[in-house]
Amino acid sequence: MRAYFSYVCKRLAQFVLVVFIGINLTYIITHATPIDPVEQSISAVTAFGSTAPESIAEMRRSLQELYGLQGSWFEQYVSFWKRIVRADFGPSLSAFPAPVSSLIARALPWTLGLLVFATVVSWVLGNLLGGLAGYYRKNMGLKVVGVIAMGLHPVPYYIVALVLMIIFGFIWPVLPITGGSAMNLEHGWNWPFIVSVLKHSVLPALSLVLIGVGSWFLGMRSLVSNIVTEDHVVYAEVAGVDSRRILGSYVIRNALAPQVTGLAMSLGGIFNGAVITEKVFGYPGMGSLLVDGVYAGDYGLVLGVTTISIIGVSLGVLVIDLLYPLIDPRIQVPS
Amino acid sequence: MTSMRAWLAAAAMVTALSLTGAGSAEAQGIPQNIPRKELLILENPEGTIKNAGWFNIWAINAGSQSNGLQQAALDTLWYIDPEKGIDGAWDNSLAAAKPEYNADFTEMRVKLRRGLFWSDGVEFTSADVKATVDIQIKHPNMRFSAVLANNVASVEAPDAETVIFKLKRPNSRFHTNFTVRWGAIWILPKHVFEKVEDPSKFDFNKPVTLSAYTLHSFDPDGKWYIWQLRDDWQRTSLGRFGKPGPKYLAYVDPGPPDKRVIAQLNNELDVIHDISPEGMFRLAKEGKGSRGWFKGFPYGHPDPTLAGVIFNTQNENLKNRDVRWALALTIDVKAVMMAAYRGAATISAIPVPPTGIHPEAYHKPMEAWVKDFEIDTGKQKIKPYDPTVAKQITDMLRPSMGDQIPKDETEIANSFGLGWWRTNPQAAAELLERAGFRRQNNQWMTPDGKPFTIRLMVEGDLRPVMTRAGTMIVQQWRQAGIDARIDVAQGTLLTRRAAGDFDAFIGWSVETWGGHQDLSYFMDSWHSAFVAEPGKPQPLRNWQRWSHPELDRIIEAIRKIDFDDPKGIELGKEYVKLVTREMPLIPLMSYNVFTAMDHTYWTGFPTAENPYANPVTNWGNSRYMFVRLKPAN
Repeated sequence: MRAYFSYVCKRLAQFVLVVFIGINLTYIITHATPIDPVEQSISAVTAFGSTAPESIAEMRRSLQELYGLQGSWFEQYVSFWKRIVRADFGPSLSAFPAPVSSLIARALPWTLGLLVFATVVSWVLGNLLGGLAGYYRKNMGLKVVGVIAMGLHPVPYYIVALVLMIIFGFIWPVLPITGGSAMNLEHGWNWPFIVSVLKHSVLPALSLVLIGVGSWFLGMRSLVSNIVTEDHVVYAEVAGVDSRRILGSYVIRNALAPQVTGLAMSLGGIFNGAVITEKVFGYPGMGSLLVDGVYAGDYGLVLGVTTISIIGVSLGVLVIDLLYPLIDPRIQVPS
Repeated sequence: MTSMRAWLAAAAMVTALSLTGAGSAEAQGIPQNIPRKELLILENPEGTIKNAGWFNIWAINAGSQSNGLQQAALDTLWYIDPEKGIDGAWDNSLAAAKPEYNADFTEMRVKLRRGLFWSDGVEFTSADVKATVDIQIKHPNMRFSAVLANNVASVEAPDAETVIFKLKRPNSRFHTNFTVRWGAIWILPKHVFEKVEDPSKFDFNKPVTLSAYTLHSFDPDGKWYIWQLRDDWQRTSLGRFGKPGPKYLAYVDPGPPDKRVIAQLNNELDVIHDISPEGMFRLAKEGKGSRGWFKGFPYGHPDPTLAGVIFNTQNENLKNRDVRWALALTIDVKAVMMAAYRGAATISAIPVPPTGIHPEAYHKPMEAWVKDFEIDTGKQKIKPYDPTVAKQITDMLRPSMGDQIPKDETEIANSFGLGWWRTNPQAAAELLERAGFRRQNNQWMTPDGKPFTIRLMVEGDLRPVMTRAGTMIVQQWRQAGIDARIDVAQGTLLTRRAAGDFDAFIGWSVETWGGHQDLSYFMDSWHSAFVAEPGKPQPLRNWQRWSHPELDRIIEAIRKIDFDDPKGIELGKEYVKLVTREMPLIPLMSYNVFTAMDHTYWTGFPTAENPYANPVTNWGNSRYMFVRLKPAN
């Protein structure tokens, strides 16, 4: 137990270090962008106006002050970390003075709802079908599923998304193809809104599941194909153990370990949002927020989204690392 | 095996259930609980609004502008329509008459209309106009603070219908700040803002409106906004033209261009702001009720914006006008037009957009001068203008587009423009040689012996039509022996353009009122006083960073005359001649916007045959469309 405690402490320290380095890298990259948020704002304001040049110069000075872009690089960096430790990402420069945290709070539930569902469904379906296909290698139905999975897996995601959109939005227009819910419905825990949200999520989720299943399927089938040739499985078969028990307890359980790691990393990564899904289906979420932030040179927004993502992925890996020694007897904590 | 079958069945059931459940529903692309026959659905090209609940347009870039706020809810003193307007291009909106200046343009007096009310029942008066100015001057972080602080010494409201602006220095165009061309300084409600501690951090939700509509509902995620016609619409400036047709307006984010086309084919989007030429062709072919500004080809609405190749004239190689003219003479505008718009554009050889009042004010009167315009290459004198280019374009298009392509000369001129500069590689080579350039192994070398390279900056996918035009031009320059390259500045264009970090870019620095001949809208900022040093941010519009004493003289002369003074056109013609000689930018064509209007639910949209308003959905001027729309049978 002492060894495990020491291991936990080490991993926690690593987690903090990874998050610290990740956030610093993001800070450096966002501040190295050639996009100047002040110029973006000025251009947006004046693109259609006849504002005189001397007024533009004055507006530029005002905006630099307003956005807190004055002061040395070091002063800005220190001020940034002071805010981060308070979980305050400051105001969004492209939606000033709205706080970044409020923009993220609005986008995050959409992303979590869609991607957690799509990721878990893909994972469960892919692994289950992959496990069965790896074990029952002569089954014709599972061979067909394998061919479909191999066929779908390499198709670029946006092609699948566009095809679904054209089929269900245009040729057979039965599903909404844009937005997270129908227009003019009150957002909240009311039945029409919930039904509308579910309907709007069908196509984005289906597109993600179709692509995601293939990847998990192929991985799992390959793992199972190796495990079924191992001695303990062969011995169990020879000993007349029920095939369902062999599959469930000896094969899939052993094959799941790397897949669970993959799931944890996928779940951690969903905080980035699904940029293409959100763009193609006009779905509200973190991905669109991130892309808009990058284009607008909105340091605060980009830092906010990526910081959450860095913490999400790191936390996912940390949890798995901490749980593995407890659930998998093959993994030993070094004493 | 049993469990496997059970699992397969379950998986199939989940899929089937999800599709069956969805299949019973209709497509959900329209607002719920509002009768479709009372609803006009328009695209908000700003897309999804991050800060959806923000309606304070007087704060800098904080929320949406074209979510209906400036088209349906706000109002200001005057409007100039880029087309002909309902009752002329000029409209006195909140003002009762045109602005009155004193002799030296240091004072502007405005008479206001009476009997106009805010949506909360408070009467609009001169106090609102005064507050609009005073509040923004007092709070320097607001959208119009700088322009007002730089111009206004004081503003007085001696009675409820009079406003007197005392200006810090003569400015014959001060009223244009309160004149809508897309947008303007909108009037704020004094009775709301005077109670707010910091107006720059006030969200103005729910907005109190002065125009004919008021906010009905909006999406907290910024995808849609619905506005409802005010019961007292007669007590707004728009009420002069009758009752607006649609009771509800929905400004929505329909997504990328392909989805806009699908939405209109499904009759779920009445007015598309802009799509690709191919999308427009598809709608024209398959959308039973869809049409563009023109009934047939070229469909698009020509904005009063001149697309062209804008040189950075601070670049050593591009300082010489012979080089700039040589680059112009290597362009085949027909190929550029086909690449950009598939031919659906209106060309212009002179630096004024070929739209609105300008063809009558500038293009046609100056056609004789352009035809006679000569360039001396040092070895020969040429007349580069080819008056038949538009006709050649129609001849190219007719085999594929058939009867959609006009044959009548006037109609061709209205739709496709007049002539352009004839491609002349020989003259271009002579001009480059005179500038000290030398050809070496079919590659042009600069006077200091380096390869002549030029990067043409484009916006990539953010502005595909211009990117296509730029790509074609680069190809033509390369064929002429110039090391030209496309320089994609997707997302970084605004920053790089302001900093002068480009050799040339394809876009516009010439924008006009459209419905008025005055060119000061863009030209005033071209004065040499505003040209920044290389590397420093360049103030508005003179992206070419070009200056000329003759241009300064023209600008200063325009500043001293009245907005409507006929001398303005003469000065405008002098500008055209100067820029044509110097070629700091190569004019190409008007920026055509493929605004597609679906006549399934509404009729009476503005069109080229009935150009009473600008239909482009994000323009403040598009509000005049609402009073002419009628439900379709």
